[in-house]
Formats: sequence, C-alpha cells, structure tokens
Amino acid sequence: MKLYLELIILFPLSGAIVNLLLGGRLLPRRASEILACAAIWGSFVATVAAATAYSAPMTVEITSWLAAFDLKAPISLYLDPLSLSLCLMITFVCGLIHTYAVGYMKDDPSPVRFFALLNLFVAAMLTLVLAGNLPLLYLGWEGVGFCSYALIGFWYRDPQNATAGRKAFIVTRIGDIGLGIAIVWLFQLCGTVSIQQLNQMGANIPPGVITALGLLMLLGAMGKSAQVPLMVWLPDAMAGPTPVSAQIHAATMVTAGVYLLMRMFPLIGSSASLCAAIAVTGALTAFYGATCALAQRDLKRILAYSTISQIGYMMLGVGSGAISAATFHLLVHAFFKALLFLGAGCVITALHHEQDIFRMGGLRRSLPWTFWPFLGGALCLAGLPLTGGFFSKDGILAAVWLKGGALYGGLYFAGLLTAFITAVYTMRMVLIVFEGEEIPLNPPLSKGEVKSLPRVMEWTLLPLALLGIFGGLLNLPEFLGGGVLNSFLSHPGSQELQLSHSSELLLQGVAAVVALAGMATAWLRYGGLRRQLRLTEAELPARGLSAFLLEGWRVDALYDLLFVRTYIRLSGFLWQQLDEGCIDDSLDRIAAQLGRWGQRLGGWGEGRVSLSLLSMAAGAALIIVWLTWVTI
Amino acid sequence: MNQIPILTLLLFLPLVGALLLLALERREGMARVVALCIGLLETVLACSAWFCQCNLPVANAPKGFFLFEDLPWIEALGIRYTIGMDGISLLLVILTALVTVIAMLTSWRSITERVSLHYLLLLAMESGIMGVFLSLDLFLFYLFWELMLIPMFFLIFIWGHGRNIYSAVKFFLYTLIGSLLMLLAIIGIYLIHGSQSGIYSFGLSAILGTQFTSATGLWLYAAFLLAFAVKFPIVPLHTWLPDAHTDAPTAGSVILAGLLLKTGAYGLIRFGYPLFPEAARTLTPLLIVLAVTGIIYASWIAFAQKDMKRLVAYSSVGHMGFVALGIAVWTPVALSGAVLQMVNHGLTTTALFALVGMLDERTHSRQIEDYGGLWGKVPLLSAFFVLFAMASAGLPGLNNFVGEFLILAGSFKVAHIATILAFIGVILPLVYTVRLIQEVIFQEERRPLTLSDLTLREISILAALAIGDLYIGLHPAPLLEILKTPVALLTGGSP
Repeated sequence: MKLYLELIILFPLSGAIVNLLLGGRLLPRRASEILACAAIWGSFVATVAAATAYSAPMTVEITSWLAAFDLKAPISLYLDPLSLSLCLMITFVCGLIHTYAVGYMKDDPSPVRFFALLNLFVAAMLTLVLAGNLPLLYLGWEGVGFCSYALIGFWYRDPQNATAGRKAFIVTRIGDIGLGIAIVWLFQLCGTVSIQQLNQMGANIPPGVITALGLLMLLGAMGKSAQVPLMVWLPDAMAGPTPVSAQIHAATMVTAGVYLLMRMFPLIGSSASLCAAIAVTGALTAFYGATCALAQRDLKRILAYSTISQIGYMMLGVGSGAISAATFHLLVHAFFKALLFLGAGCVITALHHEQDIFRMGGLRRSLPWTFWPFLGGALCLAGLPLTGGFFSKDGILAAVWLKGGALYGGLYFAGLLTAFITAVYTMRMVLIVFEGEEIPLNPPLSKGEVKSLPRVMEWTLLPLALLGIFGGLLNLPEFLGGGVLNSFLSHPGSQELQLSHSSELLLQGVAAVVALAGMATAWLRYGGLRRQLRLTEAELPARGLSAFLLEGWRVDALYDLLFVRTYIRLSGFLWQQLDEGCIDDSLDRIAAQLGRWGQRLGGWGEGRVSLSLLSMAAGAALIIVWLTWVTI
Repeated sequence: MNQIPILTLLLFLPLVGALLLLALERREGMARVVALCIGLLETVLACSAWFCQCNLPVANAPKGFFLFEDLPWIEALGIRYTIGMDGISLLLVILTALVTVIAMLTSWRSITERVSLHYLLLLAMESGIMGVFLSLDLFLFYLFWELMLIPMFFLIFIWGHGRNIYSAVKFFLYTLIGSLLMLLAIIGIYLIHGSQSGIYSFGLSAILGTQFTSATGLWLYAAFLLAFAVKFPIVPLHTWLPDAHTDAPTAGSVILAGLLLKTGAYGLIRFGYPLFPEAARTLTPLLIVLAVTGIIYASWIAFAQKDMKRLVAYSSVGHMGFVALGIAVWTPVALSGAVLQMVNHGLTTTALFALVGMLDERTHSRQIEDYGGLWGKVPLLSAFFVLFAMASAGLPGLNNFVGEFLILAGSFKVAHIATILAFIGVILPLVYTVRLIQEVIFQEERRPLTLSDLTLREISILAALAIGDLYIGLHPAPLLEILKTPVALLTGGSP
C-alpha cells in the first residue's frame, strides 16, 4: 500500500524531472510526450491499485521534512475515501487531458516545458490531496499555484498572458495568508499540524476560535477556488493554453479550496456561523458567476465564469454540511467541465484560434465529433434531468433545503435562481456556437474552412461525456437505491440528514422544471431565426447591464483603483520620499555637517603631536572613569 | 582536544593563502588558481568539521561545543585565544566557505585589474568572517569583526562602480560607529565583570553569568544591538546597504549579502541575548516592531526598483527582517528557523546577485527596462533565475519557505499581531519577484541584446546553489537536528 501511495505522486514528479533535465536536446519530442502521458496514466494505475487494496483510512509516513522541537511535519500521506475518490478523478481526468494536449500542442515549439509543468502540477495536486499534515498540504497548495502561474503565462511573449499569470499567483497568494495564519495558530493551540489529530481536537478549542480559524481557511479557499471577493483571477487565467484551462482552472486546482474545507470539516464544521459564512459565500459566488457568464462573448470566459459559479455550489454544499453531496458535485463537475473546455479547445483550434462566440456558427455539421460530446457536457451543466450534473446539483440544493431556517431557505432560492440562469447561459453558448450558418473567418484563411483536428483530441471527449452524463449512477438518490459514493464517503459522526422520499422527489421535480424552463428561455431568445438577430445585435458595443456583466461587475476596475495603483504609488513614495529622501538624506546631512566641524577642529591637531596625544589620553581617561563610575 | 586543530586551520588557512598571493602579484592567472584552491581546501575542511559532531562532550568546552580550542594569549589582560564550534557555527562556517568560493568564481572573468589583490582581500575577509563565527572571546571577536570590515571597504572602493567611493565610505562609517560602540560595551563588561569577580577576562563562558544593574545592562546591550543592527541591517539603519550592494563588484555583493549580514544576526544570538537576557527581554518589543516594519517596508520598496541589484538588495533587508523576528521572539522553533533562514538567505541571495552579475557582464546593464524575453534567448540562465526568484519569494519546496515557516510558527505564540503582519510580508516578495520575472524573463525583448547562455563555470556556481536550495527545501531535517542542541541550550530548554 505504501508503495502504491508513493507511486501515485512519484510517477508525475519523476516525469516532470526527467523531462526538465533531459527534454529538448536528449529526448526526441515524441518521447517527451509519451513520457508525460505515461507518468499520469501510471499514477492512475497506482491509484486504482490503491483503491482495490483499500480497506480503512491509513497514514503512511515516507520521510521527515520539517522537524524542529515540537513542530513535526513529515512527508506523510493520508488515504481515506475523500482523498481516494479525488485521486481517482484527478489522475483519470488529467491523464485524458495530457493525451489531448499531445494533439493540441503538436505545433508548439516548446513542448518540454509544457509537459514538465503539467506533470509537476499533477504531482503537486496529488500531494495537496494526500497530505497528512497542513504544511505538506500547503506545499502542494503553493506548488499548484506556481504551476498555474507558469502555465497561464506559457506563451510568455504576450505581456497579457504574463500579466494574467502574475495576477493569478498574487491574488491566490493573498488568500494563502489566511491559510498560513490558520496553520501556525492551530500549531500554537494544539501543538500539532497533523490533519488527523487536529480534526479530533475540535472539542478542546473554544467555539469562537474555531469560527475564526474557519474564516481564515475560508479566506484561503476563496483565493484558490476563485470565490467572491477573490475571484478576479480566474477569468484572466484563460490566457493559458486550453488543456491548462481544462486541467488546472476547471477540473482540479480550483477545487482545492473546497477540498481544504471538506478536509478540515470535522474541526471547523461545529461552528454554525462559519458554515453560514461558507454557504453565503458559495451562493453569492454561484450567482455572480452565472450572471457574468450570461453576457460573455469569449467562449473560454463563459466557461471560466461558469466554473466560478459551479464551485460556488460546492461551497454552498460544504456550508450546508453536505460533504458527500459537495464531493459528488466536485467529481461530476470535473468530468463535464473538463469536457467542455476540451471541446472548446477543439472549436478554437478548428477555427484558427477564434474565441469570440459571435464569430462562430454551424459547427454542428462541420465538427460532429466535437458537437455531440460538447452537447452532453452542456446538458450536464444546465442540469437536464437524469444527467450527472442534475443529480449532483440537486443533492446540494436538497441539503440546503433540509437545513431549513430563513437563511438557508433564502440560499435555496438563490441556488434555484442560479440554476435557472445556468441553464440559460449554457444553451445560449451551445446555440450560438453550433447552430446557424458557418461564418467566414476573419481574416479569412482558406475560405473559412474549418481546420481538421488531430484524432486524439476528439477521442478524449467521449469518455468524459459518458462519465458526465452517467455520473449520476455514482450517487443515486435514496429512492432509486442510494448512492455508492454516499455510503463510501459517509463516516461516523457525519451530520448529513436524510430527506423523506416524497420530499426528495418533489425537490427534484422543482429542479427539473427550473432547468427546463431555463433551457426553454434560451431557445426563445437564441433559437432558430432569432439567433441571427442576436448576432446582429452583438456587432454593437455592449451597454448598460450587459456591459456591467461583461466586465464581471466591474470588480477588476475597482480593485485596480483601490489596491493596485495605491500599492504602486506608495512603493515609489516610500522609496524616493521616505527612504532616500528622508532617512538617507538626513544621515547624509549629518555626515556633511560633521565633516565641516571636523575641518574646523582640524586646527586642533595641526602639527602639534603633543596636543593630540594629550587629547587622546584625556578622552580615554574619561571613558574609563565613566565606566568605573557606572560599575560602582 | 582534537589531534588536528581544525578550527585554527579554518581561521588561518585563508590568511596564509592571502600572504601567498602577495608573492604572486604579477602572475594573475596563477593567483586565481591558488586562491580557488585555498578556497576549496577551506570548504573541504569546513565540511569535515561536520563529522566531528560526535565528539561531545569535549573537555573544558562549554556545553554543546564539539570543537574547542583554548590557549592563553595576552594573559595580563585576560585575553585568550578561545574558539569553538557548535551546530550554529558549523552551518555558518560551511556557508562562509561555500559562498567565498562562489564569490571567487563569479569574479573569475569580470575582475581584470589587480587580480591578486582582489583575491587576497577575499581570502582575508574569509578569515575575518570565520573568526567572527568561531570566537568565544569577546576581544578576539571584536578583532575579527574589524578585520572583515577593511577588505570589504577596499573591494567596493577599488573595483566598485557608480558612486563607489561614496558607498564605500558610507558602509565603513556606518559599521565603524556601530563597532566602536560595541568596543566600549566590551570594555565595560570586562571591567564590571572584573570588579565583581576579581577575575578580569574577555572569555564568553567566564562572563556569561555577570549581573548588571538593569540600567547598565540596557546601555551595554543597546551598544551591542546597535552594532549588530547596522550589520543586519534593521530598518532604519539599513540605508548603507542598497548603496553598498549596488556599487560593489559582484563578489563584493555576494559576500556582503551572503555573509556579512549574517554576522550581525550571529552576534545577537551568540553574545547579545546570552549576555544580557534581561535587557534583551526589555527591548524585545522594539526589535519585533522594527523587524516586522523592515519586512514590509523593504519588500514594498523593492517593488519600485529599476536596478536589479538594488531590488535584490532591498529584498535582502526584507528577508533579514524575518531573521530578526525569529531571534527577537527567542523561542526554540523560531530560533532554529532564524539560523536556518540565515543559511537560506545566504544561498538564495548569493545566487541572485551572481545572476545579476552574469547579466551585467554580458550586457553592461542592470536596468530592468533594458531586458525582456530572456527565456527565448538564454533558457538555462532564465530557468535558474526563475528558480532562485521563487526561492526568494518563499515557494514551499525551496529553502526560504522552511526558514520563514519555522520563524512564523515559532513567533505566533509570543507575538500574534506581529506574526500576522509578517504573513503579509510573505506575499510582498512574490509581488516584486513576479514583476521582475515578467519584465526580465518574459515578454518581448525591449532592446536588441546579444547574450550567450551560461558557461560551465557559471553553471557549476548556480547548480551548487540550486542543489543547496532544493535540499534544504525538501529535506531540512538533518540541518535542524544539528541546530537542536545549541538552540535548546540558548533558549534554556532541554536539548
């Protein structure tokens, strides 16, 4: 078992190292690609082996890491149902994305850097998930942050990409302050940083402190999982190559914040006000993301905002104490969102890097192998009844409903409203991109002809589509026989309540009606001939509400004004006015003044050795007398 | 006693080497090789001290010291030649040997005038720094403290650029004023201790238990603190540093940042706190406030810099703020972190200065605005640049994170607010680092520059430092184990 766990991380890690050291000159391109993919699939096989051998939660200590007095943070891995199901998802989805990336990056001049970073990312993500203590989790946490930074700016020559990468790194790191403080605080309170031990110590910590600790972790999660108010980096992160968007900014890394809260839930879940804060953050973010997605024109930005919104649902689930429902949504979302991104990558490649949906059209006929899987993913996202996305989202909404009370009741309706908007923007995207007539490319390359795609790119869409559509089978509602995942994840002491069958059926009915109504609304606005009308409208610049939504509620502009510019201005001020102008200059002046006095005093010693000797002796005597005085 | 006096060899081998170079004044190539050989020999010697740790306990030696030499010197004044090595000195001695070799290698091509003198000064400085890290006699300590100052002055004065004379004099005056005060304090301790016990001695272990009235203790400690704070440097006594670093030749910047700054921290750990526990406790809040101010203030200013060397210099001030915080709170975990952070900062900043030096050698510019798009031209150099910049920004898995995390974890229970503010100071380095990377390594080139990628000599410099960074980042446990005994003894816990 220890071997399996080590291999899960070692495969991608060594893939990255070998590619970094030998890639380029010593390894042919094909070997680098095969190595990178083999590393991830190897890790998947190791995870499957670990899953078959799994019997009970276990900790494996590999070697020492930080060890100073009572602070002990070894490199230890912890396997339980939660980390195991995430590992299975990560290795599988990332394996497919790596395979897809071979096709996507086939004309790129520096595949070695790309695949090495992609492998390193997977290694860091798996470390994060499997970590047995918080500092190790933090290592993975920052590791994925670095890989995300480097991959967003992968095409580094464009300043926009580099800036987007920089923004992602810094904004997520702001959240990390919260996580960092929580770690050292917990160490001071409990004398340990082991996640398992901490989770059992909740009873010894005063409730107010638990709330504060939970809020600090929530801050970390807001950064990593792009929740309001730290969500601004994710839409810009789409500057990276599409496989990166799929792997890092949709399926895996962005769920790290949710994972952190789920991991520490036994400790922090006892605070009701914290749970409410998490739920409100989630609901607010879900609503924010969905509204922004309604107005976007860039295909990848639609998906980015939709990711923000869907992770909001997961947070809402965690805040309602429904860990298994949140995990379920996390897994299903990873499948269908990776699928949507990869599908978007196919569309964008086929159209020679066109990302504006209003310049697309008719792709249903020219790209059937992309269209059908993409449609499957979109239906999951929209929450069409009986798809995986429907069941997972409904599980969360049912848990919110179950919590009851004014707050959670309100959040339930906010969730439903968001589900409606989700269905609208999803179908808007599908209808605009794939329906209607083909639009000649601008500038026209070869009579608007769609570029043929490498086979491997479209093939990887199929398994994801199947998983997304039939993902519901993983966790069927109680009245259909109950879920595998639910019973696998549930552990003694979990707070999850069960609904009666009839009310569960009723809630699902409501959710189904809302999703269908949303899809119908989209059809009424974008379907058939009305599509052309919207295309004509899109020629004009956006105004009013749609401009507000297009710019993500103008949060970026606000932050730029409040924080970025202030920081830059103050740094210049501190340097030139305070440091050089005030501190340094005053010292220079004192020195100059001393120099002038020195010149005057210089007369004292000119040529008269006896006098200077005398002065020196007198001075020394004074000092000694003073010192003896002080002594006595 | 050992059979081989390793410590004496460590102290005097570089001095002997320096004398040897006097004879090689005209033969520059030879001088380089001889100096490098001495430096490497010294490194081997320093590393061999690692294996003497099992010596404990050594007869007559203070607790925790596994190498110890004690000979009478000026007996009339109670001055003895007492040198000893514990875990803290061991790490810093190895760092000193390594960084000196790297400084020699960085100036291999760039120094073309008065080569022998350059290497002679580097070796003399190595002796001085070794002496500071090994002395257990206050007089001896002071002697070496001054010895390391003079070669540095000449390094900046002769081979510096820009306003080098101004910077050299500024550096000299700052440190001199500090160290003169320290000399007075040393004499004060000597007299007070002598009048109390009747034994006049400069030996650290003899003086250690001396009782001072609180006012006297405070004044004496303040004098020590001032001398060390200038070297550290602790804001607001730092303004010599950006000038000195920027105008020094690469080897000078490397030794300044990598080694000289550590002597202040080391002095505080070895002499300041143990000699004046009461006064140190009184001034702890002040030191904590200054440390945290320094972290945030210097990192913020670093963001505005246009000259890469000046940026790295300000980043040094910020990083040493963490060391100051770790020492100020004086808990076992934080102090281990502080010592480790001294080593970390030595490795990482050395690498960054070396990299800037390499760029400067190629293009004769250190201005950020002259660069851009280096990744496409010099991938190897760029990869090292990103690695060390990330280490400096405290990315976990690399060395600086380990030190910073231990310091913060150890500080939290003593100073909540300061630690929380210091956490903000953890992200500021990232802000200026990613800006630096973006403008130098990424984007399109802004000026046509002809650059060649690293030579074998440069690769070996950077690879050695990179291995150190990764090793401490991923497996710091052995080093922390070495620090355990001395840190426990200093903080009064059980080892």
